Amino acid sequence: MRHWLYMLGGLIIWALHFFALYIVVSILLTSPAARVVTLIMTLLCLAADGLLAVGAWRGFKAAASDETARWVFGFALLGIAISAVAVFWQGFPILLV
Amino acid sequence: MTSETGFDPALYDRFPTKGERPEGEVEELERIWHAPGGWARLTVVNNNYIGIYYVGAAFLFFVLAGILALVMRVQLALPLNGVLSQDTYNQFFTMHGTIMMFLFAVPAVEALGVLLLPQMLAARDLPFPRLSAYAFWAYLVGGLCFFSSIFFGLAPDGGWFMYPPYTSKTYSPGINADFWLLGIGFIEISAIAGAIEIIVGVLRTRAPGMSLEKMPIFAWAMLVFAVMIVIGFPAVILGTLLLELERAFNWPFFDPTRGGDPVLWQHLFWFFGHPEVYIIFLPAAGLMSMMVSALARTPLVGYRLVVLALVATGFISFGVWAHHMFTTGMPALSISFFSAASMAVSVPAGVQVFSWIATFAIGKPQFNTPTLFVLGSLVTFVIGGLTGVMVALVPFDWQAHDTHFIVAHLHYVLIGGMVMPLFAIFYYWMGMTSRRPLSERLGKWIFWLFFIGMQVTFLPMHLTGLMGMPRRVYTYLPGRDWEVTNLISTVGAFILGAAVLLFLIELARNFRLTVDNDAGNVYGGGTLEWLPTGLYSTRSIPVVKSREPLWDDPDISRDVEEGRYFLPNAPTGHRETIITSPLRAEPQYLQIMPGPSVWPLLAAIFTAGFFVLMTIEAYTPALTSGVLAILGVLRWLWETDRPVHEKSVDVGAGIQLPTYVTGGSTHGWWAMVVLLIVIFMIFLMMVFSYLYLYGIHPGFWASPADQIWLPFIVGGNGVAIGLALFARHLMTRPKTTLWTPPTLLLLAVGALAAALVIDLWTWRTSGLGPVESAQGATVYAFLSLQAALTAIVVLMGGYIAVRNSRGLIVRPRNNSVDLMVLFLGYTAMQGSLAALLVRLFPGAL
Repeated sequence: MRHWLYMLGGLIIWALHFFALYIVVSILLTSPAARVVTLIMTLLCLAADGLLAVGAWRGFKAAASDETARWVFGFALLGIAISAVAVFWQGFPILLV
Repeated sequence: MTSETGFDPALYDRFPTKGERPEGEVEELERIWHAPGGWARLTVVNNNYIGIYYVGAAFLFFVLAGILALVMRVQLALPLNGVLSQDTYNQFFTMHGTIMMFLFAVPAVEALGVLLLPQMLAARDLPFPRLSAYAFWAYLVGGLCFFSSIFFGLAPDGGWFMYPPYTSKTYSPGINADFWLLGIGFIEISAIAGAIEIIVGVLRTRAPGMSLEKMPIFAWAMLVFAVMIVIGFPAVILGTLLLELERAFNWPFFDPTRGGDPVLWQHLFWFFGHPEVYIIFLPAAGLMSMMVSALARTPLVGYRLVVLALVATGFISFGVWAHHMFTTGMPALSISFFSAASMAVSVPAGVQVFSWIATFAIGKPQFNTPTLFVLGSLVTFVIGGLTGVMVALVPFDWQAHDTHFIVAHLHYVLIGGMVMPLFAIFYYWMGMTSRRPLSERLGKWIFWLFFIGMQVTFLPMHLTGLMGMPRRVYTYLPGRDWEVTNLISTVGAFILGAAVLLFLIELARNFRLTVDNDAGNVYGGGTLEWLPTGLYSTRSIPVVKSREPLWDDPDISRDVEEGRYFLPNAPTGHRETIITSPLRAEPQYLQIMPGPSVWPLLAAIFTAGFFVLMTIEAYTPALTSGVLAILGVLRWLWETDRPVHEKSVDVGAGIQLPTYVTGGSTHGWWAMVVLLIVIFMIFLMMVFSYLYLYGIHPGFWASPADQIWLPFIVGGNGVAIGLALFARHLMTRPKTTLWTPPTLLLLAVGALAAALVIDLWTWRTSGLGPVESAQGATVYAFLSLQAALTAIVVLMGGYIAVRNSRGLIVRPRNNSVDLMVLFLGYTAMQGSLAALLVRLFPGAL
């Protein structure tokens, strides 16, 4: 289960982020409060990505002789990277609209 | 090497084994896996047959929907043309879209999974072959009945996404809309059944050693595909149920005069509908990745990134549904978020496209027919993707919405992303199922006709749309500059039609179905499906050490055929396959598989009959058909979950595996968990609907029913869970009498039913009915959902009791009991959650 959580962790954070934003803006509409909450959610998700990345990197280094674990943690790191970019991108409209 | 299950990976070094195998093992495998002949062939469950039937049926629907498209193009070729009346045109475009999406695209890729996955994973078959057979027959029978509605003028006419209020009883009073709503019920069942099969198949029946990083890309794609069905289809299942409840019983989910909202339908539909595009695209993309690698004769560039792209697409596809609703008046920030997410989708798609280009660039491709189709698909899909980014931009979408520009965009994406790959797939994998490969010379003609036809049809359609022609209009006035582009599109459609016709002729010339005397590996693929196979799949199941074992181990085909790997025989004398662990594919136990049976076929016919008869309002025959379908399912299950005489067997090289396992590691448990996720998603969508409708029209909502009954409802459900767990526990004790556990289970069923009755009765006495307001409608929808689940639990309780009376509930652990306890526990928890929500919100919270 640990391997699966790392593999999908970054993408899960991304999904939680965009669903959270949709809920926030449905309730608060296009308001300053919505922008503040979006900013907080975005920073929290980026922090979660960072924490996950630390764990995945440790797993990656520890799995030097284990091909499968190394692949899994490498996959996790890539997933976290794409998640971080996507979370930033998804929150970006609060500066534009 | 680390182990996932305690299995010692050093045991893999015993393979390939030395020495000769005993005589008669192959003959025994052939006897056990023999397919019945004549009419009994209809009862086969083996993936080789079901897969081909499935692909064939899907292609039949493709041709039928294509013919509808040609007639529509004739109608639009000239202004004020009179080939089709307005009503018939409405039915044609609705059926074209519905059939292409529900009866062709999704079943086709699911069919490819059924056909190819066991061979790619070197499993004997998928883990639930009878479920595959059931899914196929329900789809075929129901689909043909559904299509027939067009000959009686009863076909649905509200467009493939059936927006209310247009499809409400007021504006669509006939049964045309019901044909869509109930008619696709069997497709939903079929898709879910297939998804369960594929998830468990990919995660639990891979060849030993095929850890995640060695899985064929198609297996990854099908895993993501199936999970997306599990998450996405419940939204449309719930949507169709709610709209049918509104049409049949006047429950106002979508009626704004009573607190409903038509936009709720759009949310539910598109939460399924947009992922649907990726549900169709991803499996085709997975096969594209495999073909590109084989055709370029080099490993795929960026395997890990491509897998990540598939998984990431699965996630983000659920975050973009509202880009179909930019014109509905959502908050500005909301549409900006959806716009950003929609643009992000292009990144994982781009990763795959660049991987294919790079693989071709470093490889040595030959320009044969599948390569041409792959390249044509790439070009077409990229054009569709670029117009997709254009419509992700909100101001552009406002202009292009519901015009022919959108029609052009979606056809570029779907034909480029799925249909052209499908033709490549036909050419590439034909050697696996046919005695003769398809002709290369004719194939090139077919490709060029197809490619040119596709571009000629849909490229001008962008202009037609930008010039303002709306979609779904049956004609137009002359002098609006739409004549030329429409005429060109019609000519292109017939070129496309000619390509498909030529392909059908080619199939008639060269396709000769076989399972063991095939044309073979014509294009030099390196994955396991190109091992020599029979109905039992491979003679022995190899240890997988790389992604392209046939390229890396030149002896593997011979060793597999000589039985030098796992399971070279049938140690229990039954159909079997090896169940492996999900991460590292370590052998865990031997699954005994069911053989041919008429019951899945009958159950499927009666399931389809139930939906079709319901649609034409023949309620008594529909009910009878539904009961017969349930009896058919129970009869087919009756023969399952029976331990064999041998508790463990030698599966090769002296490695022993158990033949009967219970608990959380079994394939049955996994399947039940996936099914419960489907049910939970339906519940979650119902919760969303409840909160959404309250948010839109709070003025229509009243105080909930008396909360004093809440402890009784939650308590009843809690007692049910407790009794069920206690029954399961008592089974492990030797002193427990024969009837104690089933009696406790029946008492648990009683407690569950009592909680439901209290819930229902107190709502009925509260004065809030399902017709008065959307609040009442949603509350009764929750109750109906709970009643349906409780009815299934009642059925399970009866089934366990009867099996117990026949001595079929083995101890100390039994899979049937485990699964019933799991289902009952879930039902009780869902019932409690629903009661807490609708009785505490709004008002008490």
